[in-house]
Amino acid sequence: MKRIPWSVLLALLAGLGLGLLYSWVISPVRVVDSAPIALRPDFKDQYRSAIAAAFQSTGNLERARARLGLLGDANPIEALNAQAQRMLASGDTQHADEVAALASALAQGDVFVAPASPTANPLSTAQPISTGNDAISTSTAEEVFTSTPEIFPTQAVILEATPRPTRTPLPTQGAPFKLTGQESICDSNLPDGLLQVLVLNANRRQLPGVEIRITWDGGEDQFFTGLKPELGNGYADFIMTPNINYAVQLAQGSDTAIGLIAPACESPSGDSFTGGFKLTFQQP
Amino acid sequence: MKSNRWLFIVIALIAGTALGLAYGWVIDPVDFFDLTPDTLRADYKADYVLMIAEAYRAHRDPGAAARQLAIFGSQSPNSIASQSLDFARANGFDASDIALIQELVTALQAWSGLP
Repeated sequence: MKRIPWSVLLALLAGLGLGLLYSWVISPVRVVDSAPIALRPDFKDQYRSAIAAAFQSTGNLERARARLGLLGDANPIEALNAQAQRMLASGDTQHADEVAALASALAQGDVFVAPASPTANPLSTAQPISTGNDAISTSTAEEVFTSTPEIFPTQAVILEATPRPTRTPLPTQGAPFKLTGQESICDSNLPDGLLQVLVLNANRRQLPGVEIRITWDGGEDQFFTGLKPELGNGYADFIMTPNINYAVQLAQGSDTAIGLIAPACESPSGDSFTGGFKLTFQQP
Repeated sequence: MKSNRWLFIVIALIAGTALGLAYGWVIDPVDFFDLTPDTLRADYKADYVLMIAEAYRAHRDPGAAARQLAIFGSQSPNSIASQSLDFARANGFDASDIALIQELVTALQAWSGLP
């Protein structure tokens, strides 16, 4: 029976350990030429904001979609909605509106009428400048750990795929919202005079960041959907004062709910309390 | 006989080191995540600058554009945009996109007072 060569095995293991120490600790792979998917979450938020701002300016939904793909979000619409809510909560309403508008456009799948463009194949104008398809299909590790400067093989695609945002028409803003539901609510478990508003798109998807205007004799106010995500992205509420007649409309255009006076209600035990309303706005 | 043994040990040590390096650099390299934008590949940087340029055309606020470009680190927004303009020109970006970035560069130069 042959003896096990322990010394050789130990030397092999020692070498393995040295190799790992050098490659993981002393000289790990240098991070260069990374892709947006590897960015820190707060930088990803800034990247999304930039995409939304560019979309607001150019109306090029396909380019925005391709750029969002670079971030590797499982659901870009939800990521945008969540970011819009965070921005609203922090008071950044202008950029939140842009982000929410992009989310809405993606959710609605807005179709832009192709302009009279010299580009024969519309798909070619839909590619991101940074060859997003490559970035999406390639694993993160390969994207991040490029140790040799292999940036330029993808540039052939860059040359062909640069779209022309200035030739893209402005996005369709969508039809005005319809008031599809208005019911008075008598629920003693809810706060007195609670006005609940739910805003949906044509696919019954809740829309965050929608401005709601409420007016009454001698006053007006505004509030936004999405500030209470636990109740739904398209949910917003307002506390009505008893005996005041309110009218409610969405700032971007909708039917107006009028004659909203907080109803007087009575609980099963005979106690009286002030009820509320629930309004539902939806795009047709 | 004894020298053969040492030879095997040295060979095993070298083989182990090679295996370790291959594993650590190729098979399972250190996982980097939460990276900063300055590590982005040049074409992604240029596309980001183009986004800022597209937005700039609408709102005409060079200060906001400069703040958005500041995520690339210590370089001035003007030089970041200029580098992307060079990249766009060298890599055949569409003329309208180059014009947008050029417009942004000009605005940032005027805004910062630097040529």
